Amino acid sequence: MSTDLVALRESTRRRLLGQMTTGFAGLALGQMLSLERMPIALGDASTERPPAKAKRVLQIFCPGAASHIDLWDYKPALEKHHGEPLPGAEGEVSFQGKNGNLMKSPWAFVPAGESGKPISSLLPNMARHVDGMAFIHSMTSKSNTHGPGCIFMNSCFTREGFPTAGAWVSYALGTLNDNLPTYVAIQDVRGEPPNGKANWGNGFLPARHQGVALSAQQPLRNLSRPDGVTPATDEATQAFLAASNGEHAAARNGDDPLKARIAAYELAARMQLAAPEVSDLARESAEVHAAYGTSDLNPLKAAYARNCLLARRLLERGVRYVSLYCASRASAVDGLLNWDAHKTLQADYERHAPIFDGPTAALLDDLKRTGLLDDTLVVWCTEFGRMPTHQQGTAGRDHNPDAFTTWMLGAGIKGGISYGATDEFGRRAVDKVSSAYDFYATVLHLLGLNHESLTYYHNGANRRLTDVHGHVLSDILA
Amino acid sequence: MRQCSRWWMSGWVVFVCLCVDNGAASADEAADLAFFEQKVRPVLIEHCHACHAQDANKVRGGLLLDSRAGWQRGGDSGEPAIVLGKPDESPLILAVRHADGLAMPPDKKLPASVIADLEEWVRRGAFDPRKEGAVEPKRADKSWWSLQPLRDVAPPAVTLSPAEQSATKVGEADLSAIDRFLLAELALKGLTFNFPADARTLIRRMSYDVTGLPPTLEEVTEFEQAFAAQPDAAVETLVDRLLASPGYGEQWGRHWLDVVRFGESNGFERNFLIPDLWPFRDYVIRSLNEDKPFNQFVVEQLAGDVIAPNDPAVEVATAFLVAGPYDDVGNQDVVAQANIRAATLDDIITATGSAFLGLTVNCARCHHHKFDPIPTEDYYRLRAAFEGITHGRRVVASPAEREAHAAALAPLDARRVELAAKRDALNAKITTEATAQLSATVWKQGKVDPTWTEERFEPVEAKFLRFVMQAHTGNPNAAGGARLTEFEVWTAGDGTRNVALALNGTIAEGERALRAADFPEAYGPQLVIDGTYAEQWFIGGPAELKLTFKEPVQIDRVALANSRGPGTDRSGVTGEFPCEYEVLVSNDGETWTRVASSIGREPWSDAHGVARVRRDAVRPLEPSEVDQPWRASLRADLDAVGQLERELAEVQGAINRVPPLRQVWIGQRAQPATGTWVHKGGDPAKPAEQVTASSLSVLDQTTTAYSLPADAAEGERRLALARWIAADNNPLTPRVLANRVWHTHFGTGLVDTPGDFGFLGGVPSHPDLLDWLAKRLLSHGWRLKPLHREILLSRAYRQSSAVRVEAQRQDKDARLLWRFPPRRLSAEELRDTLLDVAGKLDRTPGGPGFRLFRHDENNVSTYTPLDAYGPETYRRAVYHHNVRAGFYDLLSDFDLPDVSFPTPRRARTTTPLQALTLLNHRFTLDMATALAQRAESAAGSKEPRAVVGAIYRFVLQREPSALELERSERFVHEHGVVAFCRAVLNLNEVLYVD
Repeated sequence: MSTDLVALRESTRRRLLGQMTTGFAGLALGQMLSLERMPIALGDASTERPPAKAKRVLQIFCPGAASHIDLWDYKPALEKHHGEPLPGAEGEVSFQGKNGNLMKSPWAFVPAGESGKPISSLLPNMARHVDGMAFIHSMTSKSNTHGPGCIFMNSCFTREGFPTAGAWVSYALGTLNDNLPTYVAIQDVRGEPPNGKANWGNGFLPARHQGVALSAQQPLRNLSRPDGVTPATDEATQAFLAASNGEHAAARNGDDPLKARIAAYELAARMQLAAPEVSDLARESAEVHAAYGTSDLNPLKAAYARNCLLARRLLERGVRYVSLYCASRASAVDGLLNWDAHKTLQADYERHAPIFDGPTAALLDDLKRTGLLDDTLVVWCTEFGRMPTHQQGTAGRDHNPDAFTTWMLGAGIKGGISYGATDEFGRRAVDKVSSAYDFYATVLHLLGLNHESLTYYHNGANRRLTDVHGHVLSDILA
Repeated sequence: MRQCSRWWMSGWVVFVCLCVDNGAASADEAADLAFFEQKVRPVLIEHCHACHAQDANKVRGGLLLDSRAGWQRGGDSGEPAIVLGKPDESPLILAVRHADGLAMPPDKKLPASVIADLEEWVRRGAFDPRKEGAVEPKRADKSWWSLQPLRDVAPPAVTLSPAEQSATKVGEADLSAIDRFLLAELALKGLTFNFPADARTLIRRMSYDVTGLPPTLEEVTEFEQAFAAQPDAAVETLVDRLLASPGYGEQWGRHWLDVVRFGESNGFERNFLIPDLWPFRDYVIRSLNEDKPFNQFVVEQLAGDVIAPNDPAVEVATAFLVAGPYDDVGNQDVVAQANIRAATLDDIITATGSAFLGLTVNCARCHHHKFDPIPTEDYYRLRAAFEGITHGRRVVASPAEREAHAAALAPLDARRVELAAKRDALNAKITTEATAQLSATVWKQGKVDPTWTEERFEPVEAKFLRFVMQAHTGNPNAAGGARLTEFEVWTAGDGTRNVALALNGTIAEGERALRAADFPEAYGPQLVIDGTYAEQWFIGGPAELKLTFKEPVQIDRVALANSRGPGTDRSGVTGEFPCEYEVLVSNDGETWTRVASSIGREPWSDAHGVARVRRDAVRPLEPSEVDQPWRASLRADLDAVGQLERELAEVQGAINRVPPLRQVWIGQRAQPATGTWVHKGGDPAKPAEQVTASSLSVLDQTTTAYSLPADAAEGERRLALARWIAADNNPLTPRVLANRVWHTHFGTGLVDTPGDFGFLGGVPSHPDLLDWLAKRLLSHGWRLKPLHREILLSRAYRQSSAVRVEAQRQDKDARLLWRFPPRRLSAEELRDTLLDVAGKLDRTPGGPGFRLFRHDENNVSTYTPLDAYGPETYRRAVYHHNVRAGFYDLLSDFDLPDVSFPTPRRARTTTPLQALTLLNHRFTLDMATALAQRAESAAGSKEPRAVVGAIYRFVLQREPSALELERSERFVHEHGVVAFCRAVLNLNEVLYVD
């Protein structure tokens, strides 16, 4: 028996198996591969599943701890008390060491949209979307370190080895399109985010739920035929395998795993057609390219813009969960490759923000224009926030796990609102303190899933995405 | 569960429960009853039952308030919610007061009068007449099956009807004890074994199972003949041969490496590569091949350095302790540091509990285990055993090796010291002379300023400019390693402007000290002409910046800075700054004129001044000064120093050639400076009662308990634990091990959760058989090979995997073993098979692993999968250097685990990505090409029929059927042999073993 089935039986979905003794008759190709992906009751009868508002998720992740108080969370008191010590916390030691005095944001905040929400002037394009956004200003993290912080924001655990949210969603809901991966991670041209591939790992869920790395710069691995193999040969290979494997399975009374592997080859062949199509950005109009900025003179911005466009095409074709990264990992210079502005906040963010701002805003426009936003949930994340003080001896900010901002937009979200709050300086979340647990309880809720019922047995515990925590943030629901 | 439901637990305080028997009726009972019914019960129902009653949608924090026993038992913290008579110490009262972190009900505080009533109720003894309601959530106690001593079980008597004997071709005399246990269970369902598997199926199954490799065609043929003559003898010979082959340790060693979360990078953010953990892999493989008793194997992994401090072959076993992931990012925050340390030890505790005991002790980190009788103290008793361990490497060498190493170094060291003394004396003399010269010099300009240094010169036309550096502020003798944020070149005359800007078409060239493979622009020289004071050029060697202007320009000054802006001071400067340099210009790129240098500036330090004088003595920047007599004397001394330096370099070279003592990643040990405390709620900031290294109370009924003093020696703690785990009276260790063996042979364990023998784990399908096997293991002296042998020789193992529909209907997964369960090859088996049938497998054992990735180190590690592999990767996959969060195409797609956690059971998934990888990765094509050559050569012709036959024999160890032959010939004819081999390597018959 395959261990998939063992895991399946041990999961909370015990009842399902009883219905499957009849084998694969009547199941679609994709279902033959993954019994688990069948839309089944998750949890016991006493827990009701919420109605699904969203079918798919676009996660935009700005790694490096994008500063809440320089982008989204306006703090007038910081301007007023610039240069003064943070009351009660003089010389506080955080991740990299001692902190100096309060430091105002180098950028003005400008009221935007009908809601008049003040947004950093660094993000003039994103500002036009504030009326659709539900900001969560009271986020907190369990780690003050980028790697664990990133995987905490993606898996609700600071230790790697747990499934990321996209993997859980793949496990719970399966695919909308058998010909494409269910969960795609688009990494930035500057490299992997902190903790690398663990950010889209399947943890202890079966391998099919892992995020598949794909970007405008990096095609799906092993998709194309090796050099010297012609399409005709590939077709003959598929025919040869179908015939031989068919005989092999028939001689074994059609054991399920054997049939599933036959189906996998058929799906692979379809994916070979579908995946190049989705990655072929040339099929988009010149207007669309111009709106995203795919030919921008700044090569980093152009690269990210192409990834934004790819994200839209993936969502459009039924990829369930797309993680789009803007920036990458820590380098020898803080803040060079990502939003980790320890020393030179102004220069760092004037480099990173324009890359993020225009293309992301264009992507949101496009989701609206195409109607995708009606059933797509867009979430923006980073791993934690930054200190309102400057780091001693520098013009940058150190890590702050006690306060940061995320936002959601799109399907099922009440736009133009701000949920929770930090203190007057943005040092700590004080009102409606939230965390990744609540964040994903809400994401799952919008997908029609109860975060307390979606479980998987692993090494002695029925594990959940939200561990043993999490409340749906019902205030931000439409 | 390591994380606990803190919102309910955080307010629990430590207290001593005042246990008084309230069973007897008191005189005030009537009054108490009235008080309860009027003031308490309604409040509990209205405000608490929604979350704290049996019929609640979800019981929060494990706490029930709908019965007396509920609050007596308390929530997940395991402590009563009420301390009789003491409202101020009762968690329930503290919670409703919203006083101490925990606030209940969470949304709205109860009215003060209601709180007062509850306080009064507690003060009066919390009279509670309610007896209804089952209060004990389902969980295991110490009567749980796996915690009981091993039982002596005799195999049941089994009779086989003549029909059964004819169907299974097995007589009663053929049945082993194992068979009898299994048949007795099958009989209850009216089932029996399948007929025996044929010889080819059996040798393929056994070869893969025992060695992870397919048999060769010759082995199959030979076995078929022997089997036809004397099946039992043939099978025994085969089993003995396989168990004796080195492939056994490689295959079963890999299983153990899964169990102990062996990964050769540290994980987390940096994820650096660990190049010296591989000796542990070799140790595991060697131990299994030697059939080392498992109790010894356990002790060595936990305390090998304690029992055999001078035996490297045993000491390396303790790499087990540090083979898991840990966070090494420097964190200045002390709270975070304590959490990271706790997480690091948690990995060791988790691995120990799971690998050896099948216990999820780690679930008791924040509170008593929710499902198993493991108190949180047990978790911290294990922590006490590992308190002195930190991750890292140390020398692992025998006394003889240490002596030989010291002896080889001693004369070289002596020579080095002698030469260095001579050199230092000469250098001191030179320094005295140079210092005298420096003190006589009047400087034209002050020291360089990292926030802004300017050099002016006569206007000159330049198309090219070179900025040649000799030293930086951190090193008087080298400029490489410095950083530069911006370099400006200003035009002469009115309207002066900076022409050193990429924006204006200027090009900057220069070496860099650092590269990021995934981000080519990083750290480059172009950053000094980007017009911003942000990113820096990391200056490499030779330390020289070359600028090419768009067109010749009249210039009269250059400026450099690595920090600048309003109010900038030294505190904003990052990195070292160039301080000894020359500026040269040219119009043709060949003839260069020096227009400025640092020669007239006050040196950055005395040492910089001396270094400048030394440089200048050999190559003066002011030619007129060449002939001063002191220079000649200095040059002579410098020559002598140069000679000594060359000799020193030779000696150092010889020293470097002495092979260093081997360092291995087995961790560092230190006597713990403090004791070990239970962490309330898993929070290191909340120490509670102290514990010491001791046996786990969960097993105190069966094992021999021990408790070491708080100051017990570090090694003694681990050794005591190891001996306790590996004791014959520990029922878990042999049970868990016997089950792992069964799990691997049959695909599913008798307990199908091999790492969890607790309440949430599986219950044994054959409890008697499990105990029989565990006892058997002990009677074999904890050796595995005799146990393997008994299993492999059983009729159960030797039966066919054919499906019988009526049996499948009753037992779909064949847990009862009415057939042998077929399986897909593991990732390693698949890769090894492709290499083997292509004739390319390199059987070199041991040593550092090969890599299917490119490793880039730039503050953090990045691992990029390779698109093509060389022959150096053609070793068995067990020797692959598996990093955490790595990706290796075929291996990863076929469920190679990430081993962030112990992986007692691999997933076996089927995905389209597997098909894409197996069809399209270059590796398959390389193997197909090799296989095609091998087959053509074996067939002695290129005639398709002959070649196809050879391919089938190599890959599947059988002849093709007539139908297959016809299909294959057509394929080869149309698409060639290599394409055919590629198709064959994708066959299900390759991937599945019957």
